[in-house]
Amino acid sequence: MLQNRFGRLAATALAGSMLMGAAACGGGEEPATSASPTGGATSAAPAGGTTKVGLAYDIGGRGDQSFNDAAAAGLDKAKTELGLAETKELEAGSGETEAAKEERLRLLAQGGFNPIIAVGFAYSGPMKKVATEFPEVKFAIVDDEAAAGPNISNLVFAEHEGSFLVGAAAALKSKKNHVGFVGGVEVPLIKKFEAGFVAGAKAVKSDIKVDVKYLTQPPDFAGFNDPAKGKTAAEGMFDAGADVVYHAAGGSGGGVFEAAKAAQGWGIGVDSDQAKTAAEGVRDVILTSMIKKVDVAVFDFLKSASTGAPKAGTTVYDLKAGGVDYSTTGGHVDDIKTQLDEYKQKVISGEISVPKEVS
Amino acid sequence: MSASGLKTGQPPVKRAGAGTFKLTWQLLLIGIGALVVLLSITRFFTGADDLTSAGAINAAVALAVPIGLAGLGGLWSERAGVVNIGLEGMMILGTWAGAWGSIQFDNPWAGVLAGAIGGLVGGLLHAVATVSFGVDHIISGVAINILGLGITQFLSKVTFAEMAGGGDTQSPPVPKPGLVSVPGIGEPLADLEARHWFLLSDLAGILRGLLTNVSLFTILAIALVPLTFYVLWRTAFGLRLRSCGERPVAAESLGVNVYTYKYAAVVISGALAGLGGAFLSLVAASAYREGQTAGRGFIGLAAMIFGNWRPGGLAGGAMLFGYTDALQLRRGGESVHALLLLVAILIAAVAVYQLVQQQRTQAAVITGAAAVIVFAIFALTDSVPEQFTSVTPHITTLLVLSLAAQRLRMPAADGLPYRKGQAK
Repeated sequence: MLQNRFGRLAATALAGSMLMGAAACGGGEEPATSASPTGGATSAAPAGGTTKVGLAYDIGGRGDQSFNDAAAAGLDKAKTELGLAETKELEAGSGETEAAKEERLRLLAQGGFNPIIAVGFAYSGPMKKVATEFPEVKFAIVDDEAAAGPNISNLVFAEHEGSFLVGAAAALKSKKNHVGFVGGVEVPLIKKFEAGFVAGAKAVKSDIKVDVKYLTQPPDFAGFNDPAKGKTAAEGMFDAGADVVYHAAGGSGGGVFEAAKAAQGWGIGVDSDQAKTAAEGVRDVILTSMIKKVDVAVFDFLKSASTGAPKAGTTVYDLKAGGVDYSTTGGHVDDIKTQLDEYKQKVISGEISVPKEVS
Repeated sequence: MSASGLKTGQPPVKRAGAGTFKLTWQLLLIGIGALVVLLSITRFFTGADDLTSAGAINAAVALAVPIGLAGLGGLWSERAGVVNIGLEGMMILGTWAGAWGSIQFDNPWAGVLAGAIGGLVGGLLHAVATVSFGVDHIISGVAINILGLGITQFLSKVTFAEMAGGGDTQSPPVPKPGLVSVPGIGEPLADLEARHWFLLSDLAGILRGLLTNVSLFTILAIALVPLTFYVLWRTAFGLRLRSCGERPVAAESLGVNVYTYKYAAVVISGALAGLGGAFLSLVAASAYREGQTAGRGFIGLAAMIFGNWRPGGLAGGAMLFGYTDALQLRRGGESVHALLLLVAILIAAVAVYQLVQQQRTQAAVITGAAAVIVFAIFALTDSVPEQFTSVTPHITTLLVLSLAAQRLRMPAADGLPYRKGQAK
């Protein structure tokens, strides 16, 4: 039975190596440490020279051409302008647990990184826990207010205000008086986009029809990464008579733009100026994008952290602060720009109060 | 060719387990016809035009294909006695390989081939672990699911991240396989559909959805279903392969090299799952994106069980899932609400059947009450809340499965370890 024993041994070894391989690749935790020697050497920024910044991305990470990339841009800007000593970027794997996120933050804190930025509301629980374990480390979390603490800065955006403007743009451009909204996952954050969009469209035409669809329900977050579903949902809206569809669905948005192209309608981008970042073939159907300046928030936080005093608690980047806006790339909204800017002024002045929740 | 092969393995212990019910072509056609009439009635009374619109049918096919391909993969493997829960991982490998091949060689069909090869590698790994080394099938499958995700994350970092328009988690847009339509029918059918006539418009919508703007990859995928049936049920190779899943010891005693057949089955299984993945990145979306399989491999496995380990049933299961998914994604509240009426009618029909044919009064009363409840929900609401619509495909599948579960029969040696020479 030697052969049998060998078989079992080999099997164990194989299974073991599989799992180890999985552990090595699975979490996507290849330390993307870039000890930027040039940055430290060339920059004359005095206080930043010794700052080690840790950044934990949400699912998608650097290269998602959207939300995470915006955070990366802020970090890159800080790296060259503030001369950070070292930065470390880790990203979340799809379907991971809260414990994995906790471990990621703890890893950064133990590695001497200070400040540490977590990108995305999914870090809310883990951040709260880890921040109390490391009271001397400065933390920041993007898109979340729930994780409060003396050493946590909450960088949040007034997405509803930005969505209000693109909602107005959609209504102004719609010839059929019918627009649509595709959300990735039905969570409170994405519902803010919906509320703003609907309010914006109704502000222009009170009788406009707005179709709303969420691709998945929490805790299934696949809706942010499933272009096939995004396309089907948007096709349904275009077939039903809509001619402008706004998406807040992360990576599924590519499918929405494809459907818009096939139906000769308009798509509206989200988070970054997608007329510049989306796939080349669909850029011309992107009417405008609701820009969320995560890069500005990240840079501002790092700047204040490098001088030693970041503000704990919530900082809201709203329309007034230039934290959200609509994009004009492609020139498709040039004819309605004056109207949009009027709405913008009204929101800034408080004349129009945009609802955060779907009524 | 098939006749001579059939003789060698004549009695592969086939119990008449599936019951006396025999599905013939006539019955199938009548069933489909009845379903269309039922859909038409439902649409006519509820005004939910999306039930039989060309767009919904087209989307249903596109959503069903990856599930069906994964299911076919599972079928090949399980018919040879190897449980393949690693389909999801093999599909993930297929999504990456499909996109990469398509971009690298600037040809979508190179992507299709690459996707199959990507999945095939996963299948080969599963075969080595389960057939050669006798690892528990579930453990190996789970490991492949984790490994598939990890490897593709790594590979997309070293390939797509370098390309313009790509990133760590997504590829640049890929060249897509072409679309074909039956010429000359699009316009007249669209006209007919727009009139919303009873039955005629529904047929027009369904035909237009099936016959226009269909990807060549979809046609390939659909052709694989009868091909699988032919190879597994009408050739000597298929008979031997299935005998390995029913009673490998008996197959061995008749001179079949069980290991070879199991290897072949699992490798083909991986290739089919890989094709399903490639379909996702090449046709359903137009780029690779991390996590885009979203559990479709597991649903494919469910579709296979749903289809009682048969290609036709599996295709039906995938189509049912794809159709309900398309409906809920496109105009969820309205269409799913209309489906409630359809379900009520179906349950009522079952109650009548139980009462008249089977004379089971008590069961008929319970079923009838269920029909009334569903109808009441339909009548008292205007639309179905978003939280429920998104699980429509899963609930539908679950319902049908629970009704059909008594009739299912898996291959007798499915999932059991087999060692050469273990027969006493």
